[in-house]
Amino acid sequence: MMLPSFDAFRAQMAEMLELAPGDLSADAPLMDQGLDSMRAMNLAMQWEEEGVPLDFADLAEAQSLAELWALVEERQAS
Amino acid sequence: MTRFPLTEAQEGLFYAQLLDPANPVFNTGQYLDLAGELDVPALQRAVAQAGREAEALRLRVHSTGHQDLQDDLQIELQVVDCAGAADPEQLALTLIRADMATPVDPARDPLVRQRLYRLGAQRHLWAQQVHHLAIDGYGMVLLTARVAELYGRYLAGQDTGGRALAPLAGVLAEDAAYRASPDRVADAAWWRDYLHGMDDVTGMAPGRAVSSHSFIRTEAALPGDVRAALLDRAKAAGLGWPDVLTALTAAYCRRFTGDGELVVGVPHMSRMGSASARVPAMVMNVLPLRVTADELQPLDRYLAQVAENLAQIRGHGRFRSEQVRRDLGLIGGDRRLYGPLVNVQPYDRPPRMAGLKVGLRVTGTGPVDDIHFTFRGDGRTSLTIEVDANPALYGPDDVRAHGNRLAAFLAAALAAERLADVPTALPQEADAELAQFNRTAHPVPDVTLVQLLEDAFAVHGDAVALRFAGTAISYAELDRRTRALAAALQPRGVGPEAIVAVALPRSVELVVALVAVLRAGGAYLPLDLEHPAERIATILEGACPAVVLAGDDPHGLYGDRLLVPADWARAGEAQPCAATPGNAAYVIYTSGSTGAPKGVVVEHRSIVNRLLWMAEHYGFAATDRILLKTPATFDVSVWEFFLPLIRGATLVVAPPEAHRDPVALARLIRGEGITTLHFVPSMLAAFLAAPESAGLAIARVFTSGEELPAELRDRFHGRIRGELHNLYGPTEAAVDVSYWPASADDRSRPVPIGHPVWNTRLLVLDAAHRPVPLGVTGQLFIGGVQLARGYLGRPDLTAERFIADPFHPGERLYATGDLARRRGDGAIEFLGRADHQVKIRGLRIELGEIEAAIADSGLASAAVVLARGERLVAWLVPATGYDAETLRLALARRLPSYMVPAAFVPLAAMPVTANGKLDRRALPEPDFASEGGDAPATATERKLAELFAAVLGHEGPLAAGDDFFALGGHSLSAVDLLLRIREEWGHDPGLATLFEVADIRGLAARIDHAADADHGLGPLIVLARGAGNPLFLVHPAGGLSWGYRTLANCLQPKRDVYGLQAPALDPAVPAPESLERLAHDYAHRVDRAVPEGPVHLAGWSVGGVIAQGVAVALQDMGREVGLLALLDAYPADCWRAEPEPTEAQALRALLAIAGLDPEAYPQLTTREQVTAFLRDGDSPLGSLPAPVLDGVVRVVLDNNRLVRGHHHRRFAGTLTHIRAGLDHGDKPQLQPTSWGAYSGAVECLTVPFLHPQLTGPEASALIAPLLSERMALFTPVSA
Repeated sequence: MMLPSFDAFRAQMAEMLELAPGDLSADAPLMDQGLDSMRAMNLAMQWEEEGVPLDFADLAEAQSLAELWALVEERQAS
Repeated sequence: MTRFPLTEAQEGLFYAQLLDPANPVFNTGQYLDLAGELDVPALQRAVAQAGREAEALRLRVHSTGHQDLQDDLQIELQVVDCAGAADPEQLALTLIRADMATPVDPARDPLVRQRLYRLGAQRHLWAQQVHHLAIDGYGMVLLTARVAELYGRYLAGQDTGGRALAPLAGVLAEDAAYRASPDRVADAAWWRDYLHGMDDVTGMAPGRAVSSHSFIRTEAALPGDVRAALLDRAKAAGLGWPDVLTALTAAYCRRFTGDGELVVGVPHMSRMGSASARVPAMVMNVLPLRVTADELQPLDRYLAQVAENLAQIRGHGRFRSEQVRRDLGLIGGDRRLYGPLVNVQPYDRPPRMAGLKVGLRVTGTGPVDDIHFTFRGDGRTSLTIEVDANPALYGPDDVRAHGNRLAAFLAAALAAERLADVPTALPQEADAELAQFNRTAHPVPDVTLVQLLEDAFAVHGDAVALRFAGTAISYAELDRRTRALAAALQPRGVGPEAIVAVALPRSVELVVALVAVLRAGGAYLPLDLEHPAERIATILEGACPAVVLAGDDPHGLYGDRLLVPADWARAGEAQPCAATPGNAAYVIYTSGSTGAPKGVVVEHRSIVNRLLWMAEHYGFAATDRILLKTPATFDVSVWEFFLPLIRGATLVVAPPEAHRDPVALARLIRGEGITTLHFVPSMLAAFLAAPESAGLAIARVFTSGEELPAELRDRFHGRIRGELHNLYGPTEAAVDVSYWPASADDRSRPVPIGHPVWNTRLLVLDAAHRPVPLGVTGQLFIGGVQLARGYLGRPDLTAERFIADPFHPGERLYATGDLARRRGDGAIEFLGRADHQVKIRGLRIELGEIEAAIADSGLASAAVVLARGERLVAWLVPATGYDAETLRLALARRLPSYMVPAAFVPLAAMPVTANGKLDRRALPEPDFASEGGDAPATATERKLAELFAAVLGHEGPLAAGDDFFALGGHSLSAVDLLLRIREEWGHDPGLATLFEVADIRGLAARIDHAADADHGLGPLIVLARGAGNPLFLVHPAGGLSWGYRTLANCLQPKRDVYGLQAPALDPAVPAPESLERLAHDYAHRVDRAVPEGPVHLAGWSVGGVIAQGVAVALQDMGREVGLLALLDAYPADCWRAEPEPTEAQALRALLAIAGLDPEAYPQLTTREQVTAFLRDGDSPLGSLPAPVLDGVVRVVLDNNRLVRGHHHRRFAGTLTHIRAGLDHGDKPQLQPTSWGAYSGAVECLTVPFLHPQLTGPEASALIAPLLSERMALFTPVSA
């Protein structure tokens, strides 16, 4: 399966948070940037469709976009 | 084992569980329907491993509020094989339900139950049940997903790995940290701010929202096209579809809760950015979401508003809603934080399990206080609606209907531009409203009221048409006199569409006037003689009457239009009436919100329908006697006048003022043999409170004009034998348009206004004039033949209230402004007003008319008038020259007295809400304050002040100069006051006196004067009030019955209890010649007070001896005696042998009557000493006027003679004897069995008290039930 690039991944998150991709900080807490449970849920469902190895709990736990991306890479590797 | 405190999230549930430990509703659960090849050992292994990871499942929660984590508890999946059963699935589901219905003790039982039901080789149901203290909805998803993941790994040969569930410690640490954090303080402030100004929260059904032990569930899949529309609409609006679903469902709920704000509960998983993200535990919160929908705005704007609102509240979602509720003081089931719950769970879908087709069913999610709308599924492939509801508030049909309606509402809303365009009712529900409930077509001759009257005159010539103050008028005479007056009216221009004003008191002339006006072809316009000149002038100006029939012209308004009765022709032939059914029959003015009264014009056709319906529906006949007691200005009078006259029955005209005097009314009803009369419910209440109404038989009593309380219906049937009918209708629709038999077996609460009369439609519609579903509040609209033509000379007001009927082209509907809802059986319930019209004592009042009058006075720059209970209160911002008295006088010149506010509250400015509306809740309560001055001084004044306070609900001290009416009293509370005065002093000064002298000092003087004049202390006093046939208690030795008050008030159910008192208390009354004679007099007094039904009697001591005599006398008169109870009384024979007591001993009895210990005052031996002692003390005897106290002494001393001289006769029934069991050790001759010679049977009961204690509180508590039980065996008069 084709996993997204970090840029595509960031673009998905930015769209969900109604931000321009450039305005989404990779290191700042996601919740401070507008991520709430419903948006997280929508993302989790979208990623499940696309085969991105993240679930809702990952989104709920992760502090930042960078941390999430690290999880993707780690799982991709295993 | 580790021990720790409960988290905040657990606490709410913990207390709920503690309060109701037997409630199984705290079990949450679900089952997966697994089709295909299941590896049972692999699943068992997965469940066990997940159980090791999910620590919350191993909790034990103690009632002390702490919990233990049990390290060694193994969680096992038990396999139950149902494959052998006839219906394996049914068996499995039954077992699952049984588990869910079994309460779990969280201190003892495991909080989790994992069971696998084997239905066959290819099908299993995996049921999980977890106590809510250990898990929430998302936790259940986590747990299930983890088991599914492990199952997959084990099948794939992987022994470990995947994402393990996280330990509970993180949740606990987070809870502790948040409790102590400044965030929590900030969140608390944020919620207080967010909820500021919130109205009282209501649900979609009336009742107390406290979870039952179970809930009702319906569940249905949302159709694919609706799901698609949801996703599309959400996408187009740039919103998440779960938020769109929440917003629309809240809009649906709001249709059931009224126009105001709705607060829904939105479950919040509380896991974002939290250590609990991967912990199955109880973490979720329920957030209150305020929804105020302007249904006319674009729907997308509404959706965006709600989504924005949701984002905000989620940002503060960690703060517990239980704490919000406590912070706002919303404690108890009827003070709530939110109504319905809207729960969207997109993540809740069946997990994927290798090789299996998996279905998910949720069997319980915890307590259901009110109603939950839950959506499960991802929206794209599936979405189900579950409706869970509290069975205490909703029936199964309601729940099913909500499921169906919500689905239809969502479908329509997703395609709508505005919420206003979306109907609430399903098409079949709208059809029922329009057709099924309004099948009232009935043939009625198309004639005028004159035709009906003249037909009756022709047939019933010799019969009595009306009676008034002892005179009787035959139909022939009425015919002659009305023809003559009609003949005199016609040349004065009275014919079709001409108006004749009638300003006459209730009298024969009034009836003649109305009939004559109609026969002349005109319409009558009643004027109230008591209305101020300015109001009458306004009415005359608008109505331009051709003639005014009145006794005089006190304000100089009538001019040469006046025709006084003395000048009425007694003979003459009128031209035949030229009116047609479409001509006006009468014009009645009602209060108008714009500041001026408005005249409702009703045509013959309308009132003919109303009268013929009533005549036939209730079977009125020539033998009926109908009381006219309603003022002609109130449209109820229309049927009182004409119903008897079209049926050949007799119209009995009550004297002026009699309608406000219960005693006069009761006398009139008895004396005239009234078969039918009308009451406004509040007046019926006053009537039933008067002793004189007991035992009346009246064929039909009608109520209308205001709500009939269910308690009043029941009280009526406990007191009066006859039918009670509740009618409803505005003046704008020919008196009444609906009816409800409020019979003795009617248990309705509230009492409905019922079903439509002939040729009448009643529709409950929403703001867009669409029918609403059953049980939903809407505005009541009336259609059909009874609609008035409109408001005289006011086409603008007419067009506003009489709208085009959208369902019957060419016809009209009248918008009543009344809120109503329809019950399942179609009966309509009245729920109050949609606008600011109020009714006080049945009189319709537009508050706007009063506000306009205040504005016109120039004494206030702003004013608002509201009803507070039975009183009107005006809040105002004073202008130059204002003082309350000046304003009161200005209003009294213009408004009828019942529309003049009882209190004026000046304010610096009107309080307003954030959005600029009047903040009604911020208006200070009016101060019906005492004027101040001297405190009440005499005993009578003090007692009277107490009665004022009790009747008016007044708090704080009153002064002797305070006036009953200035304190907020009105004519009905005046009736109440007089009844209490009568109870207290045995007589009352009468309504007329109260109107004349209403201050405490003056009224007390009248009472004292009356007491002096007639030596007071009535022979029959009221000791307690209630229903059923009364109990009469015969005075003991002192002649007073006061001592029975405690006993009388201990009776359950409450019953009317009267005390018989000795006439000889009055020094002017000679002592009775014998006890036989006394008993005979008492029997007649009882018979007069209660003419029908069984008479219950009891008496203590000498009172018992007399009671036996009264019972015998009543039997002589043919009256049934019910209970005859003697409290420690013994036949006269027992006393004859005893030595005569000394006067000193007799005087001791007097001390006992005064509530003193007779043995404690050996120094008091003479009559003078005893009376002086009593007068100085604070016993109630001491405050008696001197002659009365002498009377008491005389009665006491005379007892020996009476008792010893008495020879009992035999009472045929059972005598119940209650013996003072601790007494009479020294008098063995005092035996209850000695009554055997003087009664049919003796029932001997004993209570453990001494003789003097028998009427005290402790003994009364024992004796009262004994009396009540026995009286209950006798059929009350109403049955």
